[in-house]
Amino acid sequence: MRAPEAMKLALLSESPADEAAISILVGYVLGAPFTRVQPTLRARGWPSVEQVLPAILRHLHFNTEADGLIVVVDSDDSVVHTPQHEAPAYHHPGCRICRLRTVFRRTLKNLPLNAAHPAPATSAHPRIRRERVLRAVGLAVPAMEAWYLCGRDTSITEAAWTQGQAAGRVPYTRSELKWRVYGTERPTLPHEIKRAVQEVTRHQGDLLRLEHDFPQGFGSLARDLRSWRAESGH
Amino acid sequence: MISAVHFKDFKALRSTAVRLEPFNLLIGPSGSGKTSLIEALLRLRYLAGQAPAPGPASALAFLNGPQIEFHFHPPFENVRVTLGCQADELSCHRLRVDHPPGLAGARQWAELRTQLHGIRAYLLDHQAMGAPVLRSAGTELATNASNLAAVLAQRAQQAPVAFAHLVADFCRIMPEFSGLDFRGVGEGHVELRAALRDSPEHLSCENLSQGTLYLLAILTLAHDPQPPTLLCLEEADRGVHPRLLREVRDALYRLSYPVATETTRPVVQVIATTHSPYLLDLFRDHPSEIVLAHKQGNAATFERLSERPDILELMRETNLGDLWYSGILGGIPGD
Ligand SMILES: [Zn+2]
Repeated sequence: MRAPEAMKLALLSESPADEAAISILVGYVLGAPFTRVQPTLRARGWPSVEQVLPAILRHLHFNTEADGLIVVVDSDDSVVHTPQHEAPAYHHPGCRICRLRTVFRRTLKNLPLNAAHPAPATSAHPRIRRERVLRAVGLAVPAMEAWYLCGRDTSITEAAWTQGQAAGRVPYTRSELKWRVYGTERPTLPHEIKRAVQEVTRHQGDLLRLEHDFPQGFGSLARDLRSWRAESGH
Repeated sequence: MISAVHFKDFKALRSTAVRLEPFNLLIGPSGSGKTSLIEALLRLRYLAGQAPAPGPASALAFLNGPQIEFHFHPPFENVRVTLGCQADELSCHRLRVDHPPGLAGARQWAELRTQLHGIRAYLLDHQAMGAPVLRSAGTELATNASNLAAVLAQRAQQAPVAFAHLVADFCRIMPEFSGLDFRGVGEGHVELRAALRDSPEHLSCENLSQGTLYLLAILTLAHDPQPPTLLCLEEADRGVHPRLLREVRDALYRLSYPVATETTRPVVQVIATTHSPYLLDLFRDHPSEIVLAHKQGNAATFERLSERPDILELMRETNLGDLWYSGILGGIPGD
């Protein structure tokens, strides 16, 4: 029996370091190798991720073989997603996961199913494998550096952050997280990538800790990705 | 080194002050005083290097003319330098120094003078950089970087480790290249060439793109083993692809925030100007490093972004670059 073809995935985040880390984590969740489609996608920070997402989805749908798009953004000071937001038709206007999911839903709804595939059907590419680009959305609370510190610093969790937000006094700042990860608030890009990869690689083979400490931001991403296995037959 | 500059009637800077951090990015329209600030710093360097004016201090009363007053970070916090002139004179060509009395104060001023001598300003010019240059002209990068080839050729010989770091950085950022080398041309001239990664070919400096040359010049400054004490760079984003602006920022940060493990260089104070909202976006986490230069009629003023709580609030939902372009920040033409 022929091994299933690797999934073709696109990834949108805020920096090359985030991308490197997310790409590794996605591989761990999927438990299978995947191919990056359009590896040059990038957004300029939060508001532009939301603004550019419809165009990226249309592009991936019509012009590429991408099976899915993974989007991960920092929460910064915004509202953190909660299980209550998962209620049918619920949408929290301050929550970035809710907002990104809404963009996915609205954009994909208006695209024709089974888009004409650019490549002719051959034995290598028998058919388009998806009707729509699959969605995976994650939220790093408050920033990717929190995920990098997971398992190293037990005080850094989504719960600690949201409790701090509710009390009006956040337990740590983005700058502090940067210090702890990079030893400086102003890391060079290669240093940032190196540290990001070092830290997420610790989670190889065991994502429980990350899912436990970041149940909404990372958990949502992992749940989205796992649902793909069912949908895509992988 | 310099903690603040106060202006009175200096060009469009009628009455304003700017506090300076280790790193400063100035944004604002033409005529908003960005270049005047740099000009004031260069004038400070020049006048501090001259022999002090003879005669009693009262002879240096500036009356009603323009004045520029400089304050300094420790250990020079008790020294104050003022440039000025009388109302009927055209430029601030007089210098007054106030330092603590006695030998200790004089020593402080002497030491500060040495540091002020290290102020440099650059406005890069790719056309000038493209031409071969006298090999002997490589002691220090020229204002427009026209002697880039000679500076790098000299560095390759005299500071091979620093040169190797520069080349490694360049090839990482521009992966189409695998190295830099030099070719003798004409009488005593040298030409800089970049080796292409996937071909035996070399591109001579004149065939390198504008952006590549600007980036090379910025890296040359960032990896300088003997950098200026204060470095001004006009139009830091010039010719550089928006995605590579992070590298420009990081290169300049290396100067003002040297990482202990990477280099033992002293801190270089950096003042850069830009018109790029994309470069501005990269300072979201450090609003205290942004200086807005406003122009209202004929008068210009400076303001720190970190002193604008309204903007810090808006930055949660909008890119800094977009806030600037929209006009909310100020620092736009036709204010
Ligand atoms: Zn939500």
